[in-house]
Amino acid sequence: MAVETAERPEAHEVTQEVQTDTSRFQRYRVRTGMFAWMAHRLSGLALVGYLVVHIWGLRALTSPEAFNALIAKYHAPIYKVGEFLLLVAVAYHAMNGLRIVLIDFLGWSPNQKKLFWTLGAVTAVIIAVGGYPSIYALVDHYFLS
Amino acid sequence: MANKSKAINWFLHRITGTFLVFLLITHFWVQHYDSQVASISKTVVTQEQTTPEYPNEAQEAVEARFAPGEVDGYYNEDGSVTPYGVVMLRLADPVYAVLWKGFNILFLIVALHHGFYGLNNVLTDYIRNDMGKMVAKTLSWSLALVLLVIGLYSVITAGW
Repeated sequence: MAVETAERPEAHEVTQEVQTDTSRFQRYRVRTGMFAWMAHRLSGLALVGYLVVHIWGLRALTSPEAFNALIAKYHAPIYKVGEFLLLVAVAYHAMNGLRIVLIDFLGWSPNQKKLFWTLGAVTAVIIAVGGYPSIYALVDHYFLS
Repeated sequence: MANKSKAINWFLHRITGTFLVFLLITHFWVQHYDSQVASISKTVVTQEQTTPEYPNEAQEAVEARFAPGEVDGYYNEDGSVTPYGVVMLRLADPVYAVLWKGFNILFLIVALHHGFYGLNNVLTDYIRNDMGKMVAKTLSWSLALVLLVIGLYSVITAGW
């Protein structure tokens, strides 16, 4: 599942590191691909946590009063911050997932790195454009009104 | 046998993931960015726990479909529409409610499968003994099942 985008390290580098790094964590080679994979797992776990809370909260759909109260609560500043973080997690997980799917189904390509940075740019645009309303609402609340 | 089912789930995880991108775009759009619900107004962020003000498009759409006083919870006391009224534009629609409920149910199933399959991937990577793996698997899929029932019940009965 993990996708390594860093260039293959020199052979002597590998042997040196394996010998010197004894702790379990340090044996991981944190490069672009490894970082992408770890961030994918962490954002995935966060999204499952959110999914649980979200579906649990949707019980309010059966009662107009409960639903309106819930939405009113969601307009507190802290939820606007959460909304933005949710978008960041979703955008990253979706775009990195798309990269994994493309590599798994279409195979390795010399354009590996180009794909990585292109999707990275798309993710940044999604976060900027989609997150603008949340950030604007927060700035407006604290600094403009 | 185990390997074959793992390969199918691995494949499904990619399919559901791709599918979720499109489902999520629709979901985010209708819930947060559509002109009826997009309320980039000063009332969006508030500590007071009052419902947000909706744009005129939302007000007119709810008024056109649900007469004030007909159902509780669709209007505030001052006559402005509530979030419930706006959501019911889709979930209590006489014609398209079935389609939106179908969309939500599909979304629910796909998201739960993708999320909990992924969660199990992570769990079984770090839990080393077979007993622990089985316990984690059973617990997480039980939670998914509970959420499926809650989600189905909420979506199907909403607006009825």
